[in-house]
Amino acid sequence: MQNCENCKVNVTGKNRVCPLCGGLLQGQGSREEEVFPHIPTIYQEFNIFLRIIIMISLTTVIISFAVNAIFTKESRWSIFVAAGICCMWISLFFILRKRNNIPKTIMWQVVLLGVLSVVWDYSTGWLGWSIDYVIPTIFVGAMIVMAVAAKILKIGVRDLIIYLLVDGILGFIPIVFLIFGGVHVRYPSVICVAVSAINLVALIVFEGDSMKAELDKRMHI
Amino acid sequence: MTRKKPIEWIRLDNAAKIFPPTTNEKDTKVFRFTCELKDEVDRDCLQLALNKTIVLFPVYSYVLRSGVFWYYLERTDMQPKVVEEYRLPCSTLYHPNRRSLLFEVSYYKKRINLEVYHALSDGTGALGFLKTLLHYYITERYQEDFKDKLPKLDYDASISQKMDDSFLKHYTGNQMSNRVSWLTNTLIMNKPKISRAYQIMGRRSIDNRMKVIEGVMPVKDILELSHRYHTTLTVYLTALFIMSIYQEMPARSKRTPVVLSIPVNLRNYFPSVTARNFFGTIHISYHFNKDKAELEDVITEVKAAFDRELTQEKLSEHMNRLMSLEHNVFMRVVPLVLKDKILRYANHINDKKVTASLSNVGKITVPEELAPYISMFNCFFSARRPQIGMCSFQDKLVVSFTSPFVGTDIQKNFFRMLSMEGIDISIDSNYKDLYSI
Repeated sequence: MQNCENCKVNVTGKNRVCPLCGGLLQGQGSREEEVFPHIPTIYQEFNIFLRIIIMISLTTVIISFAVNAIFTKESRWSIFVAAGICCMWISLFFILRKRNNIPKTIMWQVVLLGVLSVVWDYSTGWLGWSIDYVIPTIFVGAMIVMAVAAKILKIGVRDLIIYLLVDGILGFIPIVFLIFGGVHVRYPSVICVAVSAINLVALIVFEGDSMKAELDKRMHI
Repeated sequence: MTRKKPIEWIRLDNAAKIFPPTTNEKDTKVFRFTCELKDEVDRDCLQLALNKTIVLFPVYSYVLRSGVFWYYLERTDMQPKVVEEYRLPCSTLYHPNRRSLLFEVSYYKKRINLEVYHALSDGTGALGFLKTLLHYYITERYQEDFKDKLPKLDYDASISQKMDDSFLKHYTGNQMSNRVSWLTNTLIMNKPKISRAYQIMGRRSIDNRMKVIEGVMPVKDILELSHRYHTTLTVYLTALFIMSIYQEMPARSKRTPVVLSIPVNLRNYFPSVTARNFFGTIHISYHFNKDKAELEDVITEVKAAFDRELTQEKLSEHMNRLMSLEHNVFMRVVPLVLKDKILRYANHINDKKVTASLSNVGKITVPEELAPYISMFNCFFSARRPQIGMCSFQDKLVVSFTSPFVGTDIQKNFFRMLSMEGIDISIDSNYKDLYSI
């Protein structure tokens, strides 16, 4: 046991100075009396891997602007490079943020990629490829990826059900395009709606009860 | 055919609702109860005891999840594992998007630590868990001493009583007038001006490490001392805390009052034995510019404030106000993402009204057969600002200061005032200067 003459207190454990006033302690301390383990300070640093990709992306953007300015003054292709890299980062941001919940990550990516593809399509003169191919493909793709990932990673039905449901409902969006026109190539949209319908039917037939319970739980107000 | 497991989930109780949105690495909303035994802890016995205890406290096997409108607790089959203490006191237990148990049992040398996330339970609830754990641990570890007769478990409550949401049970005011008054108060901002309390500033450590300083002292001496001031132990130590803050206040800040927030165990005022949250908070304030800065004056004012605030009507009124907020239709249908922001803002406003906090768990008792194996109890809380947690066991009073700041002047003032009065204090801390390691 050590003691501090200024504070007039005893100090347990082995210290050099008083935890209260910082003055030197009298007497001999012992490690045996310590009541807390020593835990070293961990300096949290940004992942080095992340730093490298940030560096590469920014360098690419800067170089493409420079090359654009020197050689091809009349075209503006470097803006597309920047926008592309920007989209990659938006997507990566959500993946990193939601990484603990895989079905949720997939859902976010589906919505994000859908929106981004429409934005790209629109800003490059609306050729319609986003709603013709991209949106139906990612909706169906997500369903397959979710089912496969759930099997491989052993994600329980309960954790998956709500996201399959949301994806199934989103899968009906192409109907709007089919009815009101706007699609040039019909078969991807038709397949997407059909697969979504089958998905919903399967969910209701096999997991109807759990789906209701799961909805009650998540939607309670 | 496989049998499907039903989904078991429960709503968060009223007090718990504020915790998930306001949890971050600076304030983990985790608190710790420690029991120091006379011998070194045996890991296997402790694991056995934990396995038995968890069965009696089903709420401890729930994890926190987020829904569309509210957070909720969901049951899991996860089995808690006893670990040797390996991280900082009151480290994060709730990770969004991850299923993890909201408590942890760890040990270090002679100490058993129970750390609990506040959304799950409050101090009294956790103490019930720890006492049950100790009961099983001691009877397992010292089997030969209990050959003839096993001591009785002293937490008498059915499982459904322990799972009880006592806020809901004692909520009376669900009247329209209540909701309307809430609306006018909050939405139209027609409320009295927020009085800011003095805010303690300081430098934080790099890894948000919380500084814990515990002072162990004889109960008898402190009691005598407080009787000399014609008051109780809680009032005396509360006043002392206010004085130690005052001594560090810059002159300019004396325009603002020192306000202590003090959690009150509502089980003492309303019948309940729940193992979940059931507490309210009262505020004790002292204005040094207006009143005299003598300990006696502070004691008188603190005593009066305790008498004023600690009545069933006052507490019930406060509880009903919070409950009507939760039951408010507008508040209920707001999606969680927005609700998080609103609650965080409300919490921020509320924080401005508080200088520091003090929680008194009071006297801890265990069955007399178990007492010889236990040397002391201790409790402390993750802290955004300096905070005191205190409890007593037999002849030992333990006052634990937790603080996110590196400076220790308030702690020094507090313990020095006691040691000047001739109290025999022994201090230990989780903080070392680099050369002591």
